[in-house]
Amino acid sequence: MIKKAFPIFFLLLTIMVTYYAMILTDFKLNTLKKGLHDSYFFIEQMFPPSWEDFKDLWNPALETVALALLGTFLGTILSLIIAFFGASNLTNKWVKQIVRSLISVERSIPELFILLILIAAYGLGALSAVLALMIGCIGMLGKLFADAIEETPVSVIESLKAAGASKVQIIYFGILPDLFPKLISYSLFRFEINIRLSVLLGAIGAGGIGYELDYAFSMLQFHRALSCLIVVLVLVIAIEQISLYIRKKLSISQL
Amino acid sequence: MLIFYNKYKKWVYTLVAITLMYLLILFLKIDLGLLFSDVHYVTDLLNEMFPPNFKILWENNVVYISILQTIAMAYLGTLMGGIIAFVFSLIASNNIFNYKYFAVSAKWLLSFIRVLPSLIIVLIFVVAVGPGSFAGVLTIIISTIGTLGKLFTESLENLDPTSANSLKSIGANKIQIFKHAIWPEFLPSFISNLLYCFDINMRTAVGLGIFGGGGIGYKLYLAMRVLHYKDAIALIICIIILLLIIENFSNYLRHKILSK
Amino acid sequence: MIKAVGLTKQLKNGKFLLNNISFEVVKGEFVGILGASGAGKTLTLKSLIGLLELTSGEVWVEETSNQHINIYQTKTSILKKLRSKIALIFQGYHLVQRATTLENVLMGRLGSVSTWRTLFFGFNENEKKEALIALERVNMQSFATARVNALSGGEKQRVAIARALFQQPRLLLADEPISNLDPKNAKIIMALLKELSNFFPVIGVFHQPELCAKYCTRIIAIKEGKLYYDGEPNLDEKTLEDIYGEELSSILT
Repeated sequence: MIKKAFPIFFLLLTIMVTYYAMILTDFKLNTLKKGLHDSYFFIEQMFPPSWEDFKDLWNPALETVALALLGTFLGTILSLIIAFFGASNLTNKWVKQIVRSLISVERSIPELFILLILIAAYGLGALSAVLALMIGCIGMLGKLFADAIEETPVSVIESLKAAGASKVQIIYFGILPDLFPKLISYSLFRFEINIRLSVLLGAIGAGGIGYELDYAFSMLQFHRALSCLIVVLVLVIAIEQISLYIRKKLSISQL
Repeated sequence: MLIFYNKYKKWVYTLVAITLMYLLILFLKIDLGLLFSDVHYVTDLLNEMFPPNFKILWENNVVYISILQTIAMAYLGTLMGGIIAFVFSLIASNNIFNYKYFAVSAKWLLSFIRVLPSLIIVLIFVVAVGPGSFAGVLTIIISTIGTLGKLFTESLENLDPTSANSLKSIGANKIQIFKHAIWPEFLPSFISNLLYCFDINMRTAVGLGIFGGGGIGYKLYLAMRVLHYKDAIALIICIIILLLIIENFSNYLRHKILSK
Repeated sequence: MIKAVGLTKQLKNGKFLLNNISFEVVKGEFVGILGASGAGKTLTLKSLIGLLELTSGEVWVEETSNQHINIYQTKTSILKKLRSKIALIFQGYHLVQRATTLENVLMGRLGSVSTWRTLFFGFNENEKKEALIALERVNMQSFATARVNALSGGEKQRVAIARALFQQPRLLLADEPISNLDPKNAKIIMALLKELSNFFPVIGVFHQPELCAKYCTRIIAIKEGKLYYDGEPNLDEKTLEDIYGEELSSILT
């Protein structure tokens, strides 16, 4: 009888929890219904986008891409180095455990807050943004790279070790070549994420399209804001397609 | 020859990479000198942050309610988003409803939702329902529909058709096929993806705090804005522990499901 | 020449993985190590290079005609030099898949060249020529610029042997080198190993007693960590049965 009651019990529990959560977050469908009118009106106000503004959004767009590019590139190198210390086939148990935990901790810190801390130290600007993106990569890439390194067949490492190769040589000649396609693939994936983050961080003052968007909103220049939004959308879609294309080519050709 | 072994290619590629980086740094007008000259700001900041002021965690109930709020945001977002995404995925996958027109348009809709940066979505909702965790929940619902919509469609399309086909040949109708052949095979990946999305949504929920999303993210943002660094660090540590627990919990459950 | 003396490895719960194993192998010998799974064959082989931590025991190699060194008691720098002169090949998967055949062969000398030189300057033309000669020896020179992941199992093993040859070793160790190969390729590899034993001792762990009987000059059998048999390669059925216990029926083809 208990077995039969279990699903019902579970369902009741879910309903109760959901109800409580809705109270906690002020979830009222009525508010939403009324609010959607306001949103619609608001969005309507933003149309049409101001076409003249597009030409001076070109530079901020490039800035956003540059930030993401630099951040991803440096972040990949940093994460790779850290990943070597987090791979069980390259270091002893304690080091690996500590490094992996640090990587997990980094993953739990939202990039926005890393930026806020960096801004408190280095002020608003590109330096803080690049550093924030770079450090933000560690959580994801550090784990992915370390896992991939651990997938290297044991015999590759052992045979090089038996031939007398030093650890650096084993990494460079034995592990990195086979790791390379995954390296590029994961980095591209992170690059997509970093473009979105770059826009987000820009809104807090780092520069680029995000900054323009935030500025336009606060200056109530809604048409300009829509233009910014369109640029953001185009940017994100374009980068995603390019990244997808490269990653597909990578998995087919080089294997 | 792989780049690693060829003497010349190796150096050429390295040089190109360094030049590219340098050009980017120039373009962004980054002053590398600041890294070193302003380091003392970092150390000053670190000094101001420690020791962390853990007292705010129990001083008034506010912090602990905001933790519950953040969890509630992620929970509702995942639950509701998941249900809607599931319905979408049924339409969008090629092998379930077989209305090709709808399938293709559903897929496009999902792609469109995924491309919208959450920044934009949260702005729309903040305008609609005001700042706070409600706007956060709605944003998470939308982004969840995008992510889970894609994941569910993929797993539905990758299902092994043999059991469904054998039921079809016996003459079972769509509902029966679904209940007995499709649902049981789909269930593990369904729950696994839900848990995965819950983990992601927790992080989003914290991050949205800045944009008026509410929850503990907002408290942290406030603390930093008024320069109460000791409070901020305490909150960050709290967030880290919370997210670590959720991540481990989610991974553990997903492992158990995958092995069943 | 390599001499193992009293190799012993005992676990914390008292079980012996290796129990006082001693033997000596010189140039001209092709030794096959046989035994049931888990008897200690691979562990013995690994000890010969010092890749296994022993409870007690020594492994002596001849540095010059008068000087002998114990692998388990040398400094790391000397150990590295010693290892660069000992070649080890495995069952499979020990080549870098995305690198070409030639590059894989060149990796054999990573131990004999300084780390920084290899990192920054790679290998010079001379070394590349010698690597090609090693490939010719195993009849794989036409594959020099092909990627390893495009080769078959037998071809990969031949490349592995070429890499071993490139090391200019004084000793060749092989851990189940033919277990993944079809009979034709297995015989090619065994013939190659036998030929090489004319230049330096070859010690291999095998699961194929009939091939050992045909190609090896000597068989060492390990049973439950102890040295059980050391002598002529032609084993009669009774001895085989004793070595393998119940596994015999699955071994005989």
